Amino acid sequence: MAAILVLLTIGLPWIGALLVLLTGNERPKLQHAVASIISVAAGISAVVLLWFTSDQPVLSIPMGSVFGVFTFVPDALGVLLAVIANVVGCLAVIFSIDYMKGNEQLGRYYALVMFFIGAMAGLGISGSLLLMFFFWEITAFCSYALISFDNDDPKAVAAGIKALIITQLGGIGLLVGALIINSYVGSYQISAFLTKAETLPFNVLVLLAFGFLAAAIAKSAQVPLHTWLPDAMEAPTPVSALIHAATMVNAGVYLVARFFPAFEDVPGWTTSVLVVGMISALLGALMALVAADLKRALAYSTISQLGYMFFAVGVGAVFASQFHLLSHAIFKALLFLCAGAVIPAVGTRDMRQMGGLRKTMPFVFTVFVIGSLALVGLPIANGFFSKELILEEGLMHGPMWAYIGMLLGVGLTALYVSRMVFMVFYGESHGEKPIHDGLFWMRVSLTALSIGVFTTWLLAGVLSDLMAQTLPFHGVHAIGTFELAKEIILAPATWISIAVIVLGIGIWILREPLAGIKNLLRPVARIIENGLGFEQLNQGIINGTKNLSAALHLTQTGQLNWNILGIVGMLSALFALLFIGV
Amino acid sequence: MTLPVWAWIIVLPLITSPLIYFIGHLGKSRGVFAQRTALLAFAATWAAFVLAAQDLQHNGISKLMVGSISLKFDGLSLLLAMIALVLGSFVVIFSGHYLADEEGQEKYYAMLMAMIGVMIGLGCTNDLFNLWIWFEAMAVTSYLLVAFYKDLPTSLEAGIKYLVQSAAGSTLVLLAIGLVVAETGALNLDEIRQTAESSPALMAAGILFVIGYGVKTALVPLHTWLPDAHSQAPSGISAMLSGIVIEAGLIAMLRSLSALSGVTTLWGPLLMSFGILNMVVGNLMAFGQAQVKRMLAYSSLVHVGYMLIGLGIAFSMRDVIGAQGGFFHMFNHGLMKGLAFLAAGSMLYTLHISKGDHRPLLFDDLAGAAKRYPWAALTLSIALLSLAGLPPLAGFMSKWQIFVAGVDTHNGWIIAVVAFAALNSVFSLTYYAPLVNTVYRCEPSAIVLSGKRLPVVMKLPLVLMALGIIAIGIWPSLMNWLTEPAGTALLAGLGG
Repeated sequence: MAAILVLLTIGLPWIGALLVLLTGNERPKLQHAVASIISVAAGISAVVLLWFTSDQPVLSIPMGSVFGVFTFVPDALGVLLAVIANVVGCLAVIFSIDYMKGNEQLGRYYALVMFFIGAMAGLGISGSLLLMFFFWEITAFCSYALISFDNDDPKAVAAGIKALIITQLGGIGLLVGALIINSYVGSYQISAFLTKAETLPFNVLVLLAFGFLAAAIAKSAQVPLHTWLPDAMEAPTPVSALIHAATMVNAGVYLVARFFPAFEDVPGWTTSVLVVGMISALLGALMALVAADLKRALAYSTISQLGYMFFAVGVGAVFASQFHLLSHAIFKALLFLCAGAVIPAVGTRDMRQMGGLRKTMPFVFTVFVIGSLALVGLPIANGFFSKELILEEGLMHGPMWAYIGMLLGVGLTALYVSRMVFMVFYGESHGEKPIHDGLFWMRVSLTALSIGVFTTWLLAGVLSDLMAQTLPFHGVHAIGTFELAKEIILAPATWISIAVIVLGIGIWILREPLAGIKNLLRPVARIIENGLGFEQLNQGIINGTKNLSAALHLTQTGQLNWNILGIVGMLSALFALLFIGV
Repeated sequence: MTLPVWAWIIVLPLITSPLIYFIGHLGKSRGVFAQRTALLAFAATWAAFVLAAQDLQHNGISKLMVGSISLKFDGLSLLLAMIALVLGSFVVIFSGHYLADEEGQEKYYAMLMAMIGVMIGLGCTNDLFNLWIWFEAMAVTSYLLVAFYKDLPTSLEAGIKYLVQSAAGSTLVLLAIGLVVAETGALNLDEIRQTAESSPALMAAGILFVIGYGVKTALVPLHTWLPDAHSQAPSGISAMLSGIVIEAGLIAMLRSLSALSGVTTLWGPLLMSFGILNMVVGNLMAFGQAQVKRMLAYSSLVHVGYMLIGLGIAFSMRDVIGAQGGFFHMFNHGLMKGLAFLAAGSMLYTLHISKGDHRPLLFDDLAGAAKRYPWAALTLSIALLSLAGLPPLAGFMSKWQIFVAGVDTHNGWIIAVVAFAALNSVFSLTYYAPLVNTVYRCEPSAIVLSGKRLPVVMKLPLVLMALGIIAIGIWPSLMNWLTEPAGTALLAGLGG
């Protein structure tokens, strides 16, 4: 049964992708229908899989020779990723019915989205490193193809290729790591590696730990490899919600959490994870504070929230990181989809051109505020519980300076969210009157996600229980939901952070007298916006490559004499090398 | 004398080649007749191939002496025959429409058939001199195909460059053979292996083999003929050149060099060094090309680089996985690059050639091609993404196998080479991906809008090859029956 569910969870979206393509762009209604029905079915199968979690492979396919055995292990960590992918995926698809109406290339759009959903679920459930890398790369490809979905726009094309290249560069760490593990452990199985990690030579383990971390940083858009994510906002908004907020960017957090037991004793590794997380949390929040583009602000906020998850793994709180991953997937997808309703309605992404939408788009306003509550971390919303849990763990197990840093991040979050809500929904209207307040299918998705914001934290007990049962290496303890809630509410860390949140909102309200500080921050913001010089480095490498390539083109003279000289020259060089040099 | 069944896969193409030419001369529509006959000849050769493959599997390697000519059919012969036949069949099906308005079609099919027979023969030879003879015959047949458009100056120029550089290379090979005979007194590869000991003359012979055959294999910096030849030849021939002809040069080099494996341990590092050079230069040259076929031509350099890394590991470490990976990549490259050239060729045909225009196909010409030519666009994209090594496509799997071999050596330098090869793979996306983006633009270019419909027969090979690439990408052991014997054969050649 579990094997069938695994196959359905990954295979249904892929079959759906094929069917949508075969339906053809001449029948858009049928394409919408096929995509939504199949993705809902896939969502259901992923949820049912929760009842069949296991720490053993439920499906093994021997691939022969060097490709090992492809295994599917639906443990709690993996199934969580699959459920998020398929459920948020089906909501994004439903949202797209209205969002993508009238698009000429619906087939390509839905096919890529569904291809992505299946691959993302597969990435979670893979028990073999090769299989995981296989899905890892497919998600990167889909992300690229969807970012540059509007191929007529050079900005979108450039952003897609940039995202692909940066995540792939990081991916080399994972690729080499997987190969090394196979070579030393004699198998690609993750469980085999976690069992034998201690027997590996020390320098090899160090290489693996930091190689995987590089892959995770690139995939989860952490500083300094974060610059692709804001640019990725050229994608259609449901795609931003699904891939660049709720699912693919989680893969990095997933990777460090998955291999935490193997690397926690590598000197400096947990500290590195923690520092990367903290810096990303702070800088992401600062960037979100100065961004004028609604989607880019949300993207920076994603970088910041993913930073919280990295921080959690860094202090050893694997459960807290995954709990926040779940909350964030829901509320950030909700916020992005709200943006997806607002942007086409007002015809701009620039928050300065919005304002006053509270009255003209009351439905979207309500759900956006719900999402904001969770992002800020106010009680009853899922983000409150998960973020407080991270902070509490940070206070108990992490260094004090890091805790203070994260607390500062909480304040900044409250500040930028207040700013965002105010600029979009309050004040005077600065632009066109919106043409709608969320169309029918948009509202369906938004409502479902809003309900999720208030309810997914109730799953904490189940989740911790499943993780305790199916993750033998991670040492997660089962804890009841209400016990956890009580613990969080009574913890001093919670009250401190609520005070900081109030302070953050307060600063926004008092922003006029504090304008001087804002001006002070402006140069800092500019530096961060360019990725701390990383963007210049990027550009430098690109220009260098271009020049090198142009110089090399001169060697292709097209003249036979020079060509023959190449042959003779190489021959002489080799003779010289082999006889004189060696 | 009864010939063993595998000998028929050499004989059949060679005897049907003149037949195709003569039948092509009957009747008015020469091309159609010639093409049909070629297809029949392929069907017969395929039948012989299947029997030969089964025979190899059950009875092992078999040898044959024709006078003093020593032939043998082993895993390497099987591999070369398979790639030649797969590509050849698709190219013949594809070329029917592509060449419909050209003169001399009967010559085209006859030469193509002869070239395939010669290459299969090259794979089966077991002595140095005959290896060289087959190699020269391959150069002659392919030269005429490269310069098929005999009235176009650019086509003739490409042909001349190809001919002269090949000839320079084969002179060096001849010199090497002379040195080997002088030192060991033998031409038979097995005998040479047994008698060859480390000596400066044999070292020099090895280098001459590498450089001599390396011209055809397009090692950097001997590759300068390749971009012209690949872009000027008819697209079917570009597919053959890139997918199998340069690889046949590589097989000839490996056969010769493996007989000298006892001379020095440097052959492995030498091959790997060329691998790195090919990847870097190929990538940088492909980057920024505006012509589709030229970009694809340079990308062949890169892929020869991957093969060389796998094979270099095999030479250094006597490692069968490296060899198998290299040969797996050779087969996949045949499919991927063959598909890329044919898909680009179908566009070139419908946008330019069918209007009697022999301009090169530019990236910009393909803007929005997906709208009118969904199948050509899709299959071209699949080929490009597979070349870049994205799963679930074939190119990912064969690169992976090469990488596994590299990391398994536990040698820091070789692991660094693997990481560098992976980096090159990522870099290659910078020129493959924009083409995919261009093809899927919403606003078709003017030239696409004015293009004719693509004949179904032309789409057929594209779709079949794309399906093959996906199937291998999902089920890589599908090709084990081919790559494993090839790897073993190379190792046997190394005396390992």
